[in-house]
Amino acid sequence: MAFYVDIRRCIGCRSCEVACERVHGGRGHVQVHFVGDSASVPLFCHHCEEASCATACSFGALFKEGERTAFDVEKCTGCGLCSLACPFGVVWTDKIAHKCDLCDGRPEPTCVATCPADALSTDFDLLARRARSRAARAAAQGGRR
Amino acid sequence: MTKVLVPTVCPYCGAGCGFFVAVERERAVGIEYMPDHPVGEGALCSKGNASLEILHHQERLTSPLKRKGDGWAKMTWDEAIGLVARGIGEAIREDGPDKVAFLASSKCTNEENYLIQKLARLLGTPHIDNCARLCHAPSVVGLNRSLGAAGMTNPIPDVANSRCIFIIGSNLAENHPVISRWVHRAKDAGAVVIVADPRATPTSWMADIFLQLTPGTDVALLNGIAHQIIKEGLMDREYIAERTRGFEEFEESIREFTPEKAAEITGVPAEEIIRAARAYASSPASTILYSMGITQHTTGTENVQAVSNLALITGQIGRPGTGVMPLRGQNNVQGACDMGALAEFYPGYRRADDPGTIEFFSAAWEAPALPTSPGLTATEMIGAAASGDIRAMYIVGEDPANSDPSSLSVKSALEALDFLVVQDIFMTATAQAADVVLPAAAWAEKEGSFTNTERRVQWSSKAVEPPGSALPDLEIICMVARSLGLDFDYPDAASVLAEINRTVPQYAGITRERLAKEGGLVWPCPSCDHPGTPILHSSGFRLADGRAYIVPVPYRPAAEGQSPEYPFLLTTGRIALHHNAGSMTRRSPSLIGRAPDLFVEINPADAEKLGIGDGDLVDVSTERGVAQAAARLTEGMKRGVVFMPFHFPGTNILTTEAADPEARIPEFKVSACRIARRN
Ligand code: SF4
Ligand code: SF4
Ligand code: SF4
Repeated sequence: MAFYVDIRRCIGCRSCEVACERVHGGRGHVQVHFVGDSASVPLFCHHCEEASCATACSFGALFKEGERTAFDVEKCTGCGLCSLACPFGVVWTDKIAHKCDLCDGRPEPTCVATCPADALSTDFDLLARRARSRAARAAAQGGRR
Repeated sequence: MTKVLVPTVCPYCGAGCGFFVAVERERAVGIEYMPDHPVGEGALCSKGNASLEILHHQERLTSPLKRKGDGWAKMTWDEAIGLVARGIGEAIREDGPDKVAFLASSKCTNEENYLIQKLARLLGTPHIDNCARLCHAPSVVGLNRSLGAAGMTNPIPDVANSRCIFIIGSNLAENHPVISRWVHRAKDAGAVVIVADPRATPTSWMADIFLQLTPGTDVALLNGIAHQIIKEGLMDREYIAERTRGFEEFEESIREFTPEKAAEITGVPAEEIIRAARAYASSPASTILYSMGITQHTTGTENVQAVSNLALITGQIGRPGTGVMPLRGQNNVQGACDMGALAEFYPGYRRADDPGTIEFFSAAWEAPALPTSPGLTATEMIGAAASGDIRAMYIVGEDPANSDPSSLSVKSALEALDFLVVQDIFMTATAQAADVVLPAAAWAEKEGSFTNTERRVQWSSKAVEPPGSALPDLEIICMVARSLGLDFDYPDAASVLAEINRTVPQYAGITRERLAKEGGLVWPCPSCDHPGTPILHSSGFRLADGRAYIVPVPYRPAAEGQSPEYPFLLTTGRIALHHNAGSMTRRSPSLIGRAPDLFVEINPADAEKLGIGDGDLVDVSTERGVAQAAARLTEGMKRGVVFMPFHFPGTNILTTEAADPEARIPEFKVSACRIARRN
């Protein structure tokens, strides 16, 4: 399972941050960034197919497990190499590393369930459908919107 | 240890999202979402997600307190109730019942509000109000007059059925975040979104047409739009002829109000006004959502009227996807008004000055001497406290010392009272001025019904015990009433709701049993087999000959304008991470951590002239006082206008008390101010 952001929908409410923090004992793995005054985007682990964090980790604490980039707390030494390696800046190290675990054990990632604007989803088809209809409308109107 | 999931309703905004509180060993340990909930489909904004943080908060009031020198002394409930009864009783005996005022709370349940207004009126005082006065009093007055009902006309999810969504004076993306999911769903289906606001906000990010008007010029904008609609013949003649009255006078009143004239006043280009007029009038289903940007003006009632005029002349009302949608701020502001916690209305919006009302409630309550006239409004009470016309006040769950305009004078007014009781969950600035402070239970520590902004009545269950000896407001009110010699025999919220079923026709069929269902019932629900009424006005209006009233509204400027001494207009509002006066959100670590300080938004060009850089500490001053804030430079702010959120004590030091002459709402949205960098 992966999940997707529809940046057009994000309203910068930071609910995903607060919810993630809530279910991860106070340490959240999402950060909402603002693009000037005109857009916001939540940043979280992409669970990359070729995960540079996992490659960088010499202790096997970060590793691929199916689609997920998983994390084993027991093995983490807190060296911080993963934080340096991640191209998106979404592994944080304070004492030990922490990153999105796709809310292991829950039916759905908490941020996806809570997003008031419906900007996050695990359904790639939904995202693709929305994007295509936007593109179709833009083409029909002869503009770029 | 087993976890129990208890269904509750979010204690923050009027959207009324539902969620489960997970309870383990009598503590609230987590939140589970409610994917089938009609409003949010399980979603919660940051405030909803953080709501449990206030339940076990260390600063909760846990014992009744009385003033002792500069500090506070704990006391037992017996002693506290005795003190309250004596204080209120003495004021009534010595000065008369009309020297006592009550503020009910739009955070309390329907049952609690019903009892608070009943207590006030049975004691003989007409002075009962709630903070709806500060947010939607003009909607109550304006919509009752023009449409015959004061609620949102259509449900929130119905916004998805709209093909043109006109959002004016509402930053719903921050203040009612879940509504944005429905706006986007409509956009997916091709809807056009129009946003009118003096500042660019996450709501305007959704807009196809953004009308950045000068604060206080809403009537001019709306009249300009109406003018264009009529000029192009885009109005719905059949609807106007069959369902409304007043069109001719209205048409005459805006004959001169061309988009060009509107452009001059509002600062919005005429072409944009024309585009908005065409989109709104010609779409098959258009809705208008509005909030405090419309109501918090000296012309609040007129603004509301201008909004409903647009819907009426185009027939964009009474069908799916259409409507006039006032978005209420607090979780139960709709319910507090429905329950008659208002100066001019008894429960069910029966007018206080109508002899029929008094007759009805005298019989229902077996009370021969009910007050027969409208009382003082929330803001007037404060003025009366300052002048000595009110000697004692009982304030439940409200914080006028922070939430009322010109707050420095509010504090001294409260201190001037002979006797002040404040009942709350935290020691608020208002409670600081009290003689007696009573600790109340928070939403998840009691049960009862709440009515959200769509008129949806939902039952919220008790998840955990209140801290220390805090008690539900309902129990406290009953104890106080009994000690004042009244027969308040209500063992629980359900028994109060049963009385509401008998006395409030809109709630007649909304029984405790029926509310067990997730999602509740939408009033009017006149009988036990009635399914509720999600869409109002589908078959006419509850007014003379079933017709809605199109009311001409001349444009009047705001009370304060720019001047050489005060060259900026200060407008106020809310942000996603806080709620209202902030007594809860400023104590919630995950919210205050993300938005810790008061800021003032200013256009970079204006800031440059004043030598103000991003993040600089500035003094914002008005005739009423000075507040400190951090400057936040943003292109989204209109030139000449600055914005401050009102969740921090500083902001309302600045705002004006000038109020709408009819609805008595203060003009929080326009104050002339000056701004300077601190050295
Ligand atoms: S919860 Fe959704 S809308 Fe809010 S910041 Fe996160 S992604 Fe954006
Ligand atoms: S932490 Fe960074 S590198 Fe590792 S999977 Fe996630 S996004 Fe990729
Ligand atoms: S949108 Fe309103 S009701 Fe829903 S979670 Fe947020 S504050 Fe609560």
